[in-house]
Amino acid sequence: MKRLVLLLVVTALALSACAVPHERGDATVEKTAAREAEVTAVFNRYRTVRNTAIELLDAKPLSIVESGPVLAIDTGSFEVSQRLATTQKQDTASVDVTDVQTPRFTKYPLWFFAVVRDVKAGVNRVQIFERETAVEPWLLVASPETLADTPIPAIRREGGRALTVKPDDGVGMSMSATAAAKAYATSLADAASPEAGKVADDSFIKQMRATAETNAKLDGVTFAQSWGSDPVKYVLRTTDGGALAFVTLLRLDTYEVKDGLTVSWPEGTPQQAFLSSGISSAGKLRYFHQVLMYIPGGSGKPRAIGQYGGVVSADSQ
Amino acid sequence: MRKTLGWALSVLGVLVALLGLAVMIVLGPDSRFSTGPHPIETDGIAIVTAPKVISWADVQVDLRAEVPVSKPVFVGIANSVDVQSYVGKTRRLEVTGYQRPWDVSTREVKGQVNLPGAPTALDWWIVQSAGRGGASVSTELPDETVSAVVLAVGSTNLSGVEITLAYGIKGGFYKGVSLLLLGIAAVWFGLSLRREGAWWTTEPSDEEGTLIEEQVVYVYVDEDGVEHEMSAEEAAAYDVVEESVEVVDVSDHSSEPQPEEEAEGAEEAGPDSASEVADAVEPVAPRIPGVLTAAEIAAGAEPEPVPGPTPEPEPEPEAEPEPEPEPEPVPEPEPEPEPEPEPEPEPEPEPEPEPEPEPEPDPTPDPEPSDERVVYVYVDEDGVEHEVSEDELAEFEVVDEEEES
Repeated sequence: MKRLVLLLVVTALALSACAVPHERGDATVEKTAAREAEVTAVFNRYRTVRNTAIELLDAKPLSIVESGPVLAIDTGSFEVSQRLATTQKQDTASVDVTDVQTPRFTKYPLWFFAVVRDVKAGVNRVQIFERETAVEPWLLVASPETLADTPIPAIRREGGRALTVKPDDGVGMSMSATAAAKAYATSLADAASPEAGKVADDSFIKQMRATAETNAKLDGVTFAQSWGSDPVKYVLRTTDGGALAFVTLLRLDTYEVKDGLTVSWPEGTPQQAFLSSGISSAGKLRYFHQVLMYIPGGSGKPRAIGQYGGVVSADSQ
Repeated sequence: MRKTLGWALSVLGVLVALLGLAVMIVLGPDSRFSTGPHPIETDGIAIVTAPKVISWADVQVDLRAEVPVSKPVFVGIANSVDVQSYVGKTRRLEVTGYQRPWDVSTREVKGQVNLPGAPTALDWWIVQSAGRGGASVSTELPDETVSAVVLAVGSTNLSGVEITLAYGIKGGFYKGVSLLLLGIAAVWFGLSLRREGAWWTTEPSDEEGTLIEEQVVYVYVDEDGVEHEMSAEEAAAYDVVEESVEVVDVSDHSSEPQPEEEAEGAEEAGPDSASEVADAVEPVAPRIPGVLTAAEIAAGAEPEPVPGPTPEPEPEPEAEPEPEPEPEPVPEPEPEPEPEPEPEPEPEPEPEPEPEPEPEPDPTPDPEPSDERVVYVYVDEDGVEHEVSEDELAEFEVVDEEEES
């Protein structure tokens, strides 16, 4: 009996060592966005380039690791630092990547989702790295931040890959990611609009409305605020059947000041850095806000659970 | 069962060995097929296999491209998603079909005359190589859709390019050898299993490998002490006087439960009945000196003198010796039997210690023999039986009238 068992073990080992060639009958053209080693390399490269930019106090190096609204927001931040002659903090802590989700794609662009914990800042950076084409590098295209104690909905996986949702697909949810982004922007622009009731009245909306009301109360100043949303590109399916969408909002603050008056901002603020002499006639401030929007499964209202934004440009007369 | 398993294993072993031999012969010592070099007519800068043309996985592939006048050339294999993104807008020769050993179908795809970037600067190649005049790659195809590309590097083109392709199984020749050896081992094992049934049961201590077949044999012993085998139905007419368990190594017997072994002392029954006795008598225990058999008692034989108490005529494999509860015929108190070591258990304890063969085995013994004879015996303090006559019987007290059949 022992000999028989020994023979079976030897046979099993011998056969398991053979990689049997086989035809992939159901071959599909697809690719996992990034392997683990590739993700690690992307993060290491990003940190190296970002620290170089901080050291130089110049946002130009960031263009090889960032793109889109993130690059615009960070460039604005660097510009503020340059104008205010302040230094930014280098990222020397070890990268604490708590979650990586890599969907599969049948064609470029490829992108993957990652959560990076910043213990000192007490936030989680929920990031999207994207590779637009095969000859381009991985770039950070979204990086909203959530409070460290804010739960991030779990991403649904199937066959070892994270499931994505088409931005216009609202099946199983109160609305699609694209519709949620538009409703959210509309709600920010006009609290009395019918769209405002379709999204949750979260802390981001309250904060933005409070800021707008404060600016509107300035004597001799006509203040207007408008909101728009970029097309939604990155949406992941959550385990509850909902979706986690990365929404980029464009905010435009317009000031018209009566003659003889000047609107100015406190020292050290981004607005002051962009408009050091203030607005004496008319001026505009443009902001990008990247919002991490959670659309619950079922009939729950979409709500923002994180955001990252700042001034990206300004002009005045 | 073992024979069936042995046959199955042998057949399987032959098939595996033949498979291994075939692999060795087909692949050869380098474990691959090779074809080429094959010229390909193109003046473009890229030759690319379309997605799904390479539909195999775990195949070792060697691809070599050679171009004249030492032009720089690049060869690579990558996921088709990457390749399509890379060369999707470039003018190229696309391989749309491939049949072994070398039958390719191609189509020209229009596009830009340049690649969007240098192939050597990209990080997603599964395997890549570049060189002047030629380049080659070797890899085992992964379980994903891949494309192979041959690219001109710099401002050159691929005119005059020749492709050599080899494919096989990595270490296939040695895997064939392994299969051959494995098949031979299986055949040998199967033969061993068929020829040496005891292969499994050579060690009685191997509790999992020992096969125990239980067989009940009914015998009766006639007045001459000869055993007769009978059926269970016939045995129902008799009283059971003794039950014994005998372990018999069946490997030396046929599968039939017939006792074929020749009994000891078969010649005592006469030359004409020896063969019949051999069919009817089980192997018996050696005779115990000093103890009369039933036949000897019937014949009036005197017991042989023995130096001490005799062991029980029917030794049981007990751990403790049992005192004989036999009543003492003499008025004296029965001496306490000396505790004596248990006799060695007989390897084949015979239910009946009588080794006398049956002269004429009768499958249907007469349950009431006509010639009935009464024998009176007394057992002395040493446990030795003595025959007494009817006249002497008055001096004794009859304590047991058990009729012995």
